[in-house]
Amino acid sequence: MADVLLSNVHKRYAGVTAVNDLTLDIKDREFVVLVGPSGCGKSTTLRMIAGLEEVSSGTIAIGGRVVNHLQPKDRDIAMVFQNYALYPHMSVRDNLAFGLRNRRVAAAEIAAAVAHAARILSIEPLLDRRPRQLSGGQQQRVALGRCIVRNPKVFLFDEPLSNLDAQLRAQMRLELKQLRQRVPTTSIFVTHDQVEAMTLGDRLVVMKDGLVQQVGTPLELYRHPANRFVAGFIGSPAMNFMNVKVAADGDRLALAGDGLRLQIPARLAPGLGARIGESACLGIRPQHIRLGAPSGDNQVGLQGVLTVTEQLGDEQLIAIRVGASELRIAGVDPDLKLAAGCKIEAAVGTDNLHFFFDS
Amino acid sequence: MTALTMEPAQSDGFFAALAPQGRRALFALAALAICLLFAFPVLWLILTSLRPGTGVYYVHRGTEFTLDNFQDVLSQEIVLKALLNSFVISTLATVLSLGVTATSGYMLSRFKGPIPNAWFSVIYLFRCVPYVAWVLPLYFVTRELDIFDTYWGLLLPHIAVHICFFSWIMKGFFDGIDPSMEYAAMIDGCSRWGAFWRVAMPAAIPGLTALAILCWLYTWNEFLFALILTAHETPILTVVMAQFVHELGMEWNLMSATAVIALVPALIVTLFGQKYVIRGLRI
Repeated sequence: MADVLLSNVHKRYAGVTAVNDLTLDIKDREFVVLVGPSGCGKSTTLRMIAGLEEVSSGTIAIGGRVVNHLQPKDRDIAMVFQNYALYPHMSVRDNLAFGLRNRRVAAAEIAAAVAHAARILSIEPLLDRRPRQLSGGQQQRVALGRCIVRNPKVFLFDEPLSNLDAQLRAQMRLELKQLRQRVPTTSIFVTHDQVEAMTLGDRLVVMKDGLVQQVGTPLELYRHPANRFVAGFIGSPAMNFMNVKVAADGDRLALAGDGLRLQIPARLAPGLGARIGESACLGIRPQHIRLGAPSGDNQVGLQGVLTVTEQLGDEQLIAIRVGASELRIAGVDPDLKLAAGCKIEAAVGTDNLHFFFDS
Repeated sequence: MTALTMEPAQSDGFFAALAPQGRRALFALAALAICLLFAFPVLWLILTSLRPGTGVYYVHRGTEFTLDNFQDVLSQEIVLKALLNSFVISTLATVLSLGVTATSGYMLSRFKGPIPNAWFSVIYLFRCVPYVAWVLPLYFVTRELDIFDTYWGLLLPHIAVHICFFSWIMKGFFDGIDPSMEYAAMIDGCSRWGAFWRVAMPAAIPGLTALAILCWLYTWNEFLFALILTAHETPILTVVMAQFVHELGMEWNLMSATAVIALVPALIVTLFGQKYVIRGLRI
């Protein structure tokens, strides 16, 4: 097991910068998730750590040793690929043993390691089958087994759950968590799915256009997003955004724009006092809005017209039009009968208002 | 008064009007007719090979059959030598071509950069040259290299042609194989070459088999290179067969017997590798 240190890593292809000045310190036994939309550079970063892509500049160190010029086989890592990448002409047993055989490990030791990995992943009955005879979930377990069996310093996961259906994905997510408790190896997991990222990662690295947007624990990212992109990317349903202008109104601050006008006591938003006259993007999570009038000084009211309801069984998601903006509200009582066009009054706590400025 | 509108008669065609059994019978009949169309020359060839020299012009009327033609051609040293040469050349051309086309196809499929681009351009350029246009220059080259009328004199041109034609097919096979497997192998302890040899090549075996069969059949049936690039020292079956046409006339019976003998290995290869041949032809 080892820590992984990326220092000022760049990756440039002909005229395109895929990864831009990435510095990241991954602690020993930590599970870090690189998350972001397609083309953000997360997979390229993982492939550079694996040695499948060359680093244009910067250094990558695993366990204190710079690995920039080492072949993938010499980095002591293991990787799970999106499409499992099992060797189709080998049995499951041989797939698991392949890496150890290449390292000339004794046969008895290989057999023991394969049996141990198979037991952990409950794939013992599958050992003599070929990959094509396995389901997607079973193939994924074998791919995980191929990593475990080698006992490497670092596990790399390249969107390993994205080929599975929703139900199986949720199950595998749970199994990965359980596996992690038994095999606490340093892990770097790449995904574009923020639910996967939130549920699996000790820390998340949100990337966009090759740049790191924010690094933090799932809760830090959810509660204190560094910018509008992170705020919109983390959380489901996505955060509501409205463009407002900050103005002073006596001992209060007024937020106005797009047909919306909110007033909040200046003491409840200390950071905003210095931003008077500036335009801001106001973000409110759908989960933080509740129906009804504001019940105190520390809440602001929103009045709108209902446009859509989505029944989820345990809750309703509704959308209301406030001025020119459409706001989604989550956690509405599923038994509440609401008709499109009816007036809705809602409230949100001032501590749940997020402000993003261009500067 | 009611207005009467006439619906245009709807017809799904002749086949739809037939009962399912009728449709099946008609389809079988059509398939049989097409098969017969292709099989007829072969059947005629076999029939001719079994007729005496005097009976070849009334094959359809004669009743006299003999195996003397086979005995006659197999007693000729040149035919036996040609049979052996054709087999050796076809097999060697297949093995050597596949060795190069597998690596060439893999490079075209997996690597980007000036070397693969240059190789791609060379192959493309040579593919644009008509097959016939290669023959005369090759004649002079083999003469110059002093390999005319030798195994190498025929093998090298065959391999060159195969590389140009089959590298594309091989590239297609490798394109269909997920490169993640090779990356996994590289992480599992293989070099790039090891990943190619131990993971990509075994995964490409169906494609390689199809290509090997096509390559072998192509060389076995090839006539033009064999005619121009060989003489008495290295007789090739397709050329020897044609030599039954001479100034004294045409020995159709002997030619047919030789052709039937030539058919047998090709038939065996095709029958055993049918599945792969079809796959190869579909690319």
